[in-house]
Amino acid sequence: MDLNHRERFLRTFEFRSVDRVPNYEFGYWNETIDRWHREGLPIEVKTSNDIEQYLGLEGIESLEFLPIAIGIWPNPPSISLKKENDREMVADGLGGIFVKKVSTSTIPQYIRYPIRNRDDWKRLKPFFNPETPGRIPLNWNDIVEKYRDRNYPVGVFVGSLYGWLRNLMGVEKISIAFYRELDWIEEMMDTIVNLVTTILRIVLRDVKVDFAWFWEDMAYSKGPLLSPKLFEKHMVPRYKKITEILHEHGVNIVVVDCDGNIDALVPGWLDAGVNCMFPLEARYVDPYKLRERFGRRVLLMGGVDKRALISGPEAIDRELERLTPLLEEGGYIPTVDHRVPPDVSYQNYLYYIKKKKLWLEKHHP
Amino acid sequence: MYMDLGSKINALDNVLNAIVNLDLDSISILCRNAVELGIGIQDIVNTVARAMEVVGRKYEEGEYFLSELIVAGECVKECFKVLDPLFRESSVFIGRAVVGTVEGDLHDIGKNLFIMFLRSMGFEVIDLGVDVPPQKFVEAIKQYSPDIVGMSALLTTTIVNMKEVIKALEEVGLRDRVKIIVGGAAVTKEFAKEIGADAGGVDAYEGALICKKWIEERKLLEGF
Repeated sequence: MDLNHRERFLRTFEFRSVDRVPNYEFGYWNETIDRWHREGLPIEVKTSNDIEQYLGLEGIESLEFLPIAIGIWPNPPSISLKKENDREMVADGLGGIFVKKVSTSTIPQYIRYPIRNRDDWKRLKPFFNPETPGRIPLNWNDIVEKYRDRNYPVGVFVGSLYGWLRNLMGVEKISIAFYRELDWIEEMMDTIVNLVTTILRIVLRDVKVDFAWFWEDMAYSKGPLLSPKLFEKHMVPRYKKITEILHEHGVNIVVVDCDGNIDALVPGWLDAGVNCMFPLEARYVDPYKLRERFGRRVLLMGGVDKRALISGPEAIDRELERLTPLLEEGGYIPTVDHRVPPDVSYQNYLYYIKKKKLWLEKHHP
Repeated sequence: MYMDLGSKINALDNVLNAIVNLDLDSISILCRNAVELGIGIQDIVNTVARAMEVVGRKYEEGEYFLSELIVAGECVKECFKVLDPLFRESSVFIGRAVVGTVEGDLHDIGKNLFIMFLRSMGFEVIDLGVDVPPQKFVEAIKQYSPDIVGMSALLTTTIVNMKEVIKALEEVGLRDRVKIIVGGAAVTKEFAKEIGADAGGVDAYEGALICKKWIEERKLLEGF
C-alpha cells in the first residue's frame, strides 16, 4: 500500500488500513530548543516548524491551514511599556496590560484584562466583524487553485468559544459572568459564532478541507474550568452551528485542542460534532477509557506521556508499547501529550523519534 | 426562595444557602440582614466557613467545578465587604497566612482559590502575589509573623524555587516558626516532603482544611 500524506491522515481517522500512521509531534518550548542547541541540535534549526522539517516529521506545526484570519482582526500591535530585570510589562493593543518573563515561556499575567465590562466588549466587538477586509487573502483564487489537487491534508481553524473570552477576561471574570451576566456571555459567544460561520460559508465553497481545529484549553488537572452543565447548555448548541456547516462540506474530523483533564467535556463535544480530542495529557486522560466509553465516535491525537521522554529509553519503549493496541485499532495519531518540555534531553528525544518511526512502520491499522 | 428575613436562625441559613447556591445577587442583602439583626460577626464568619465546606465537598464530589468555586468565592467576598467594618472592631481571625506564587511563575488561579478558602475559614491572609522571590517571603514572615506560609507554582521548572524559599527561611532561623504548605499542578506529596514542607500535593480546598487543622491542633496544645 503506497499512500500519500492526505490519504494516510484521512484513512487513519476513518479506521481504515494504512501503510503507516502520520508522524506528527506537538512542538517544543523555547527553553527546550535552547537546551537542545547546547546538546547538538544545529543552531539554524530554531522553531518547532524547523525541528519538524529537520527530523522528518509531517506535523503538527507544519500542517497546512487555510490562510484566513478567524479571530481578532486586524491584530493590533503590542507595545513594551517597561522592562525590569527579567520582567516585561506589555500593552497588548486591545486595552489590556500584562507582565511576562523575558527568559522563560510562561502564560502572561494580566494586570488589566482587555475586557473588564460591557463597555470594553463594545470597544472590542468590531474586531470580530467577519466583513473586515483582509480576513480572506486577496489572492484567494490562487490559493483555491493551489489546494485543488493536493496530496497533503489541509485544515481550517475555527476559533474558540471559551478560550478566547477567558484570555480576554480572565478565568475569574468569565466564571462570574456566566452566573451574573449570562446574556452578555451569550452575546459574545454569538459574535464569535457569527464570525466563524460567515467565513466558513465563503471559504468551504471553494476548498475541500480535511479537518477543522478548535482551540479551547478549558481544563486543568482536576477537570474543566467551566462546569459541564454550563458548557453543555450554552456552548454545545453554539458549536453545533459551526459543525453543521463543516459537516455540510464534508469536514468530519473536528479537532479540539484542550489540555488538562477533559473527561467531563468529551460527551458535550461529541454531541456538538467535535470529535477529535487533542493532546490527551497522559497524567489526566486515559485514551483507552475514552475509546471504551465512546467507541469509534471519538478520534484521538496526542497521548504520549512526556514524562517517559524525561525518564529515558526504557520508559519510552514502555510508553510506545502501552499505546500500540490503540495505534493498531486506528482513529489515533500519537504525539507527545504537550509541547516537549526542557526537562527532555536531545538524546532522549532523538531516541524517541527513532523508535517512534520504526513503531509507526510496524504497527498500524 | 429565602426564609423569614426577620429571624436570626433563618438569617444565617439564608447566608449559607446563598453561598452554596451561588446566589451572587442576594448574598450582600442577606449578609447585611444578618448584621442588622444583631448576629455576631463570629457567627456569620462561621456560617460562611460552613457554606464553603459544603461548596468544597460539592467540588470534590464532582457536582461543582472551578467556575462554581470562583463564584462561591465571589459570594464570600461580597459577604466580607459587608462585614469589613466590623472586622476592624473585633479580632475574629483564627490564624494568619502569608501566601504567594514562587519566583519565576506567574500563575495565580490555584493560589487565589487557596486564599479564598483560607479566608472563608477565618484566616487573615497576606497575598504576596506572583513571581515572589525568596527574600520577599522572608521579609513578609518577619513583618507579619504568620502561622502558615503557602507557596504555589504550576510549572515543573518553577516548583524547585519552593525549596529555595525554605532554604532562605532556614538560613535566617524562621523555618520552625511557621508551617509550610506547597501546592500546584506539578507538586506531589512526595515532592513536598522532599523539599521539607509540612504538607503539599493536595488541592486548594484540602490545603485550607490542613491549615485549619494545624491551627486547631496548636490551640489544643496551648490549652494544656
